[in-house]
Amino acid sequence: MEAGVSAPTGDVLAVDELTIRFDGHGVDLVDRASFRLGRGETLCLVGESGCGKSITALAVMGLLASPPARITRGRALFQGEDLLSMPRKPLADLRGNRLAMIFQEPMTSLNPAFRIGDQIAEAVVRHHGVSQQEGRARALDVLRRVRIPAAEKRLDAYPHQLSGGMRQRVMIAMALVNRPDLLIADEPTTALDVTIQAQILALIAELQREAGMAMILVTHDLGVVAEVADRVAVMYAGRFVETGPVDAIFSDPQHPYALGLIGSLPSLGKREGRLATIAGSVPPPQRFPAGCRFATRCPFADERCAREVPPLVETSTPGHQVACFKAPLEIHVGGLAA
Amino acid sequence: MNAPAGSDVILSAQGLVKHFGGGRQLFAGRAPLIRAVDGVSFEVRRGETFAIVGESGCGKSTLARLILRLIEPTAGTVRFDGADITAIGEEDMRRLRREMQMIFQDPFSSLNPRMTVGALIAEPLAVHGLASGRERAERVADILRKVGLPPEHAERYPHEFSGGQRQRIGIARALATGPRLVIGDEPVSALDVSIRAQVINLLEDLKAELGLTLILVAHDLAVIRHTSDRIAVMYLGEIVELAERDALFEAPLHPYTRSLIAAIPVPVPGARGARQLLEGDPPSPAAPPPGCRFHTRCPHAEAVCKSERPTLRTLGPGHTVACHLAERLPPSPPSVVTAPASTAKRRRLELFAGARSDSVSVTS
Repeated sequence: MEAGVSAPTGDVLAVDELTIRFDGHGVDLVDRASFRLGRGETLCLVGESGCGKSITALAVMGLLASPPARITRGRALFQGEDLLSMPRKPLADLRGNRLAMIFQEPMTSLNPAFRIGDQIAEAVVRHHGVSQQEGRARALDVLRRVRIPAAEKRLDAYPHQLSGGMRQRVMIAMALVNRPDLLIADEPTTALDVTIQAQILALIAELQREAGMAMILVTHDLGVVAEVADRVAVMYAGRFVETGPVDAIFSDPQHPYALGLIGSLPSLGKREGRLATIAGSVPPPQRFPAGCRFATRCPFADERCAREVPPLVETSTPGHQVACFKAPLEIHVGGLAA
Repeated sequence: MNAPAGSDVILSAQGLVKHFGGGRQLFAGRAPLIRAVDGVSFEVRRGETFAIVGESGCGKSTLARLILRLIEPTAGTVRFDGADITAIGEEDMRRLRREMQMIFQDPFSSLNPRMTVGALIAEPLAVHGLASGRERAERVADILRKVGLPPEHAERYPHEFSGGQRQRIGIARALATGPRLVIGDEPVSALDVSIRAQVINLLEDLKAELGLTLILVAHDLAVIRHTSDRIAVMYLGEIVELAERDALFEAPLHPYTRSLIAAIPVPVPGARGARQLLEGDPPSPAAPPPGCRFHTRCPHAEAVCKSERPTLRTLGPGHTVACHLAERLPPSPPSVVTAPASTAKRRRLELFAGARSDSVSVTS
């Protein structure tokens, strides 16, 4: 597991200051999000509902409906080409080919009226101009790779004839059939039972190892993050509040929001009293504070936090950045609790 | 199993069965018979938190509804305080529902959007003729305070609240009649992580304050480990293991329980080493496999597992398991991993928790 920032030359994706605003909202729902992703690397975007993690992913894929969404700033270089300014046609040629996405709910991406073999084959035929027969052969191959039992028979099945776990595998098969360089997965296992989730995550990891595919995984599940991430970006109300190698995020969390998230997880070990909680809930965008957006819920916030936006500052660990005036807490507020 | 009133057991289920379908359909011949709950017995002790866990389709939600008699069992009995509630009339059952309430998973779809929060909470009071007029309004305000919402919110409508607040309203509504037994069907699984912790803490506080008995139906084992005293694990309509919390997590006996625990993603990087993943999906409850229902996915299955249905056997104090091979299985690998926290991290978490309890915990 390679920690730290990857060399710029090896970047599969480099996103700089991505800023997204929705018509009718006076604030940026994603505010200057920057990250890079090397070959084979997995970046997890973590945060709760409404933090902007999904719209960040959709923006990179060029799937954000505009209007109402408007990308007001930034670029997303995918192998040197800016996805954000790319015309529709070349972008459509990339998607489903070198760039693929899977969603939480497979039924939204699978067409209920077509057999799954034909749906997967279509992606091959469209992007590689092979024969229908060849497309079907590759579909069969990829269905076997995602361990669909009796794959030959399933080629002719319709999506509704499969279980949730099987559908999720079919969607992954469809995303992977053209061996993408970058996979964006938005909560791909959230709707699944834990035993099926474990199978799917192991499968994606295996395919990554083999093909060097980079992945952005959008999730709210810190257990999944610890398991698959190389690097993590914790998002709150549209901003990255802490980002770094996965070990740093879990062993040395610095932002009060990250601390609250980690402290609120029930442990699988012996019970240790009450769970830590974060007061209140995420404010609606029109009520985002002017300074640090976490200020209204942060037990350490003062006037400066309410007024000024804290920049992301590197900690002692390379690649680990925190946007908090009070970090590290033991130095800035440690005296208070004594 | 006939627990007299005043005993240690508040609820007991005996041989509960619920089959769906199987009848004639207009055009399609016979509908398949779904064995959602297939012979389940257990007892819940007064004041404990009893958890029922399992994956989708294992029958846990059906079981919860059977306990409250929201649906009628195909066979079996449920006793509440010793009285068989499957045998009593509608009117008696209605009276009894004051004592047994339910919290649902989705706080949005279980709250009528056209009713104010005050009216939603007052409704069960009115149904049971518990309070009227000014007294009722006071009760509503009191309950709202108990679940951590300002009483003024009684005037508002459900859509004005966040998910966590709506779940608090759902809890307030369940508590309005002063129940002794509360059943939560996945009460926190629709909530964000930080909100989930708030609601779990609230449930635990209320349980202690009001002397409730809780039955939690859930699939999140970390939440279960944190909140429950005893746990029943279900697979395809049957209880396969039942034990005290620590015994279940530290020395699980059933292969299914073991793989369920092993499959939980642990929030510790690099914690999960080589582990045995279950292959395939659970079979359909319309066609459960013969013998042990888990044998099609069990890494240890032998000939006997394919032909004979195992019954629950007691293998330790309060620890029962339905597995032919339970004594002969290899000891379970330590499945529970926790990370030793660095000094700085521990200090920060303490500071965070300390600062939180200093500030007034108003939830808005």
